[in-house]
Amino acid sequence: MVDRFRTWLRRQFRVIGAISRKDFLIFLRYPANAVMSVVEPIMWLVPTYFMGLGFSVNGEAVGFAGFTGTSDYFSFAMLGMFMSSYISAAFWGMGFSVQEDMTLGVLEPNWVTPASRVSLILGRSVIMLLLTTINSIVVLAMGAVLFRVNLTGNVLAAVITVLPMLIALTGLGLGIAGVVLSVRRAGTAIDISNWAVTQLSGATFPVSVLPRPLLAVALALPTTYGFDAVRSILLGTKTMLPLKAEIGIMLASMVGMCAAGYAVFKAFERRCRRQGLLGTH
Amino acid sequence: MGLANAIEIDDLKRTFTRRAPNALARLFTRRRTGTGTNADGGSGAGADSSAEAGPNAAGLANNAKRPNSLVAVDSISFDIRAGEIFGLLGPNGAGKTTTIKMLCTLLEPTSGTARVAGFDIVREPARVRASLGTVLSGERSLYWKLTGRENLDYFAALYDVEPSTAHRRIDDLLTRFELTDKASELVERYSTGMRQRLSIARALLANPPVLLLDEPTAGLDPQSARNLRDVVRKLRDEGHTVLLTTHYMAEADELSDRIAIIDHGRVIALDTPTALKEHIQQLHSVEVEIDRAPDGILDELHSLPLVRGVECVQSSNGHETWTIRVLTENSRQTLDALLDLLRAEGERVLNLRVAEPTLEDVFIALTGKSLRD
Ligand SMILES: Nc1ncnc2c1ncn2[C@@H]1O[C@H](COP(=O)(O)OP(=O)(O)O)[C@@H](O)[C@H]1O
Ligand SMILES: [Mg+2]
Repeated sequence: MVDRFRTWLRRQFRVIGAISRKDFLIFLRYPANAVMSVVEPIMWLVPTYFMGLGFSVNGEAVGFAGFTGTSDYFSFAMLGMFMSSYISAAFWGMGFSVQEDMTLGVLEPNWVTPASRVSLILGRSVIMLLLTTINSIVVLAMGAVLFRVNLTGNVLAAVITVLPMLIALTGLGLGIAGVVLSVRRAGTAIDISNWAVTQLSGATFPVSVLPRPLLAVALALPTTYGFDAVRSILLGTKTMLPLKAEIGIMLASMVGMCAAGYAVFKAFERRCRRQGLLGTH
Repeated sequence: MGLANAIEIDDLKRTFTRRAPNALARLFTRRRTGTGTNADGGSGAGADSSAEAGPNAAGLANNAKRPNSLVAVDSISFDIRAGEIFGLLGPNGAGKTTTIKMLCTLLEPTSGTARVAGFDIVREPARVRASLGTVLSGERSLYWKLTGRENLDYFAALYDVEPSTAHRRIDDLLTRFELTDKASELVERYSTGMRQRLSIARALLANPPVLLLDEPTAGLDPQSARNLRDVVRKLRDEGHTVLLTTHYMAEADELSDRIAIIDHGRVIALDTPTALKEHIQQLHSVEVEIDRAPDGILDELHSLPLVRGVECVQSSNGHETWTIRVLTENSRQTLDALLDLLRAEGERVLNLRVAEPTLEDVFIALTGKSLRD
């Protein structure tokens, strides 16, 4: 029993490893990808920096500090961006990759192999997450040098804190991949939901400034607590709920999102076999 | 493998429901302005694409009028013996690809079932896939931004080829399919024939007992197609069971140990090529070449006594000529009537031939129409 489980697990890792290797090779063959992934965030960060400067008095964003407990808007926004890139990875890395595979015509050749279809989808997120992390670290380092971001807190604690959020996002990505299977052109939908989740989680502003109905949505997103918790650890901002409660929420949503994502994917995958893959017909 | 039958198909049926473009899809899809949302132009999708094209309201209105389900595969049953090449022959839209997709577990049957290497396609899909090498049509099925070897490396992991032997296996397959020289080149630089060989190599990675090949020679030049047929024969000789689909009569005739002729989702004949031809041995085919498209006379020919089928093809040699083939139980009588008819219409006969029946004639005799229709 244990042996069979171990064999099974080894297989899944092998499949995910092979997908990661393949994705990385393909990534390298489009050099523009690599350049853009560094340039793009900087393009986005520069105006944020000056915006933050514009609202500051002697380098302190006073109004902003009233909401968050830090007067350093730029560091706040930068961390938000750092983490929202993981949301993108979940939405695009898994959801959109399914669509990409369908359009390219490689989905079916993958699906006729004995490999588990869940693993085939999960595998697509690994390189995206890895590149996102490397990318964010580069940007963060550049930010530190160019814009004097100073992170004072415990980075390790922050990483451990967001881990459940990342796993939850992976579950979400699996569910999105399922939906994409039966929706032919999902690019727009992915774009909009990605943007909405990112913004409502408070990537660029404290969610406490939101009007009530939107605030309710924001508070229902586990990512909101992830952002909040990491900022409090690294920047010393005040949290909306006690840190322990936020971590609890993230752990619960991790379990919930993974279960829901798996169920949604399975349901849509079944539906696909019943009705035929839209993208390939 | 020890099983007498590699594949057992039992009352397998598949219908496709034509829904109003599903609500979810409508909600999420960015609709392009103008007509023709479906730019894919996929094979046999013609009837379907109209539902999604055009503005919403019209799409829904059209939809209400059309029949809402289509039987793609209509309760087929047959066994494929271990070690044989089995040809599934039929025109476009006959249901060949749908059958293959059910067998490789991409599609669920609407009813009925099938077993591949003894495993049930609905209840044991993973085991079925582990016993199968599937080559679906379309050269986009490989990663064009990877080399040939990288493609095989990747799929070896998915097919669970023992890591310690994968490298050798890939080398062997590259050699066997004459791809060793090009193994380090990106697939985007391959020819169509090389891509098709690589796809077959991929299907063989795990050395599966059963191979499914969907139109393996479609789009290949004659030389590559011939080489590919040699490959298929060798695979059979090595003990693989091969199920291949084709709409080329000659190919099915040349390759298959047994053939099932399929039309509108139904198997209308199943036998060895020789037996199928013997079946209509008493028939003859009369061919006349004329210099313009025959308009009304095809129907008239059809209604002549003793005539079992009529087809008309435009010559492929660039000349503006048409060949009418008439399948008849008595060539002499039909010949007279045929010439009378042509003369009455003022047609000029360029060429005339009475021939032995071909497999194509079997199809015409069975369905009253040509494979190319
Ligand atoms: N996913 C699908 N949705 C709706 N109709 C389909 C789908 N796949 C195939 N069909 C229809 O089923 C019929 C059989 O198609 P197919 O099996 O592809 O034929 P063949 O491979 O013999 O050309 C065709 O009429 C085709 O339009
Ligand atoms: Mg087909």
